[in-house]
Amino acid sequence: MTSLSFNLIKNKNKVFGFSTFLILLSLIGILYSTFNTSYKKPINLGMDFIGGNELRIDRICKEECEIISPDLVIEQLRTFSNNKNVLNNIKLQIQNNNSLISIRTPYLTIEESNDLISNVDKILGPLNYESKNSRIIGPKLGKKLLTNCATSLLVSLFAISLYISIRFDKKYALFALLALFHDLFIVFGIFSWLGVLLSIEVNSLFAVSLLTIAGYSVNDTVVIFDRIRENLKQNSDNYNKTIQISVNESFRRTFFTSITTLMPLLTLIIFGSYSLFWFSVSLSLGILIGSYSSILLAPSFLIKD
Amino acid sequence: MKRRQGWLFFIIFLLTFSIYLLINFPLQLGLDLKGGSQLTLQLLKEDGKVTKEELEAVNAVLDKRVNNLGVAESNLQTLGRDQLILELPGEQNPLSASRILGKTALLEFRTQKESTSSQLKNLQLQRLKINDLIELFKIDDKRSEETSLLLMENLTEIENDLNYSSNIEQLFKRLVATKKYINNEIANLFNKTDLSGKDLINAGRRQEQTNNNWEVSLSFSNNGGEKFAEITKSIAGTDKLLSIVLDGESISEASVGSQFINTGITGGAATISGNFSAENARELEVQLKGGSLPLPIEIVETNTIGPLLGSKNIVKSLYAAICGLIFVGIFMIFNYRILGFVSVISLIFYGFFNLALYSLIPVTLTLPGIAGLILSIGMAVDANVLIFERIREELINGNTLIRSIDSGFQRANSSIIDGHITTFVSCFVLFLLGTNFVKGFAATLGIGVVISLFTSLNCSKTILRFLTTYQSLRQKNLYLSKSTTL
Repeated sequence: MTSLSFNLIKNKNKVFGFSTFLILLSLIGILYSTFNTSYKKPINLGMDFIGGNELRIDRICKEECEIISPDLVIEQLRTFSNNKNVLNNIKLQIQNNNSLISIRTPYLTIEESNDLISNVDKILGPLNYESKNSRIIGPKLGKKLLTNCATSLLVSLFAISLYISIRFDKKYALFALLALFHDLFIVFGIFSWLGVLLSIEVNSLFAVSLLTIAGYSVNDTVVIFDRIRENLKQNSDNYNKTIQISVNESFRRTFFTSITTLMPLLTLIIFGSYSLFWFSVSLSLGILIGSYSSILLAPSFLIKD
Repeated sequence: MKRRQGWLFFIIFLLTFSIYLLINFPLQLGLDLKGGSQLTLQLLKEDGKVTKEELEAVNAVLDKRVNNLGVAESNLQTLGRDQLILELPGEQNPLSASRILGKTALLEFRTQKESTSSQLKNLQLQRLKINDLIELFKIDDKRSEETSLLLMENLTEIENDLNYSSNIEQLFKRLVATKKYINNEIANLFNKTDLSGKDLINAGRRQEQTNNNWEVSLSFSNNGGEKFAEITKSIAGTDKLLSIVLDGESISEASVGSQFINTGITGGAATISGNFSAENARELEVQLKGGSLPLPIEIVETNTIGPLLGSKNIVKSLYAAICGLIFVGIFMIFNYRILGFVSVISLIFYGFFNLALYSLIPVTLTLPGIAGLILSIGMAVDANVLIFERIREELINGNTLIRSIDSGFQRANSSIIDGHITTFVSCFVLFLLGTNFVKGFAATLGIGVVISLFTSLNCSKTILRFLTTYQSLRQKNLYLSKSTTL
């Protein structure tokens, strides 16, 4: 591990190339998502932001639950229910060896949602109501949450920028922030692609993960910049070389912290509740990209030609 | 060395105190961990912002209603400037709660306008018809095409008679909307009086003797009783009726007999008998007891979690947290040997301090909260890694163990504080601006960051100092992994 050394001076352009590639890829994803999808948004907004009804409930089966196709269930629901609008936009999945039913519909009142459950019970029952999870979000709240998340994101990015520019001189602060926006943009882009390709939606926890990534990425960059400044004070003769040495000295630390942070996140992905799954995924991605940008990209900005 | 020993005792004292706190004040679990319902209520105001007084007034009324609901440990609190959150632990069907809370429940007593008798009779007849249709709809659960058609036909007829049309597609909603329209129209045939729900001191309900219907009884204040007597006196013996109007809909119309012509109805009590079911009567009773809302509200979010799912969530999170800790522990010991061992101990301290603070503040533990806690473990380890890397470098540079430890802590200091501050800034903003769901995450991560500063800078150092007092633990190779060549 100690013998590891990376020639940053030589590979600076490769790093820039790689980052440009990632940014372009994200940009394409965001543009594609904005113009070429049914939802016409840069990212596939989930029910937290547009309102809707989500229902998850277990079936009670004696041994194994019999296989039943979701289309058939929706077909049968039609005969029970007279609210065609709901059934036209329903998404029904049956997971976990046919035992877990998960349903997404547009916004319903509590009464309508209860009706839907009892109709599903008639078709797929008996259901285990002890395991029910139902969320109903009105469209009004959705809009409010969206502006709320956007403001928190902007305010804390501003606060972090402010702190960094007080803490460092202008040049360092600018580069740390560039690396930060690079990370956030790429994570956002990945989720744009996930929305386009796998219809993965983002909810308010995604905004939280972006904020957490921001804190992390800046933290990592600060540690390396601190090291560079410290070393430059002692040895200002060979500027580029000193930066490279500092990066290699900090490499172990950044690598180790990424691992120790990724470990709990991976256990959350594997063992945790489903509602935290995509949250953990986006945090993990952010930490990977954040580590890359702070160890390779941010110092590359400092290297002179 | 003496000062360090003081720290050691202090840390051990804190640990004991934490364990004592955790045993005596168990952690509060959020609804996503114990099951129940959570409703978010939004105050609606047409123009301008909701003032603090209005929010408090709505809160007070809802609080009374919630207390009369009879759900144990229910919890109502304001969120931001114009929202309220109601938690109903154990409640699996929030329908009745939502009906009781969502209504403004403005009760009015009105007297009939001049020469409106024929109009009123017609409207009352249409109301009877629509009630029959609604009954029919409810009884016939698996409606055949025929009944649906029949219902539709009759409904259209009523709507034509009323010169009313709606563009609602769903049959039941349309029935209810038409009924509401009729009740509004009836209420409009009456003049407002100065008697209202504010003049009530109590409400109750009882079953009518003649049939299975329920009625709601009202008790007026002294002043209200006088007003009621005055109003009934004014219409006693005439063909004018008294109407009881709730939120603009007439729910009952009654005549006042000629025996009351001199004094009006005295005694300060009245009953409303408007074909109530037991549940409807209870809802109205609770609403009247709580008073009417100064501003209308809307339920914008409903979250229901089954108790089984809640306990599953606890087990899953516990697995994730413990496995995460074990993996991190193994990794640290493998790479940093004794130093790693020190960081594991200080991580355990860290865990206890965190949980103790949750029960002290108190912080309600939710799923996002647990995610914050697990993530903050990473934060805490990060600080240790920074310090240990510095110590390692110092050792490789040939410094003595004690000096390396000292300067390791010293030189990592500023980086650690920077990192913690940036994360804390994010948490702070999230906590201020975030929704309830997000606040849980921000709180645990934020608390974690603060405690991590203490445990990594102080606990680790104290434990390390303690261990290095033993001669046998002072060998350098216990502090460096094998791959490192000195």
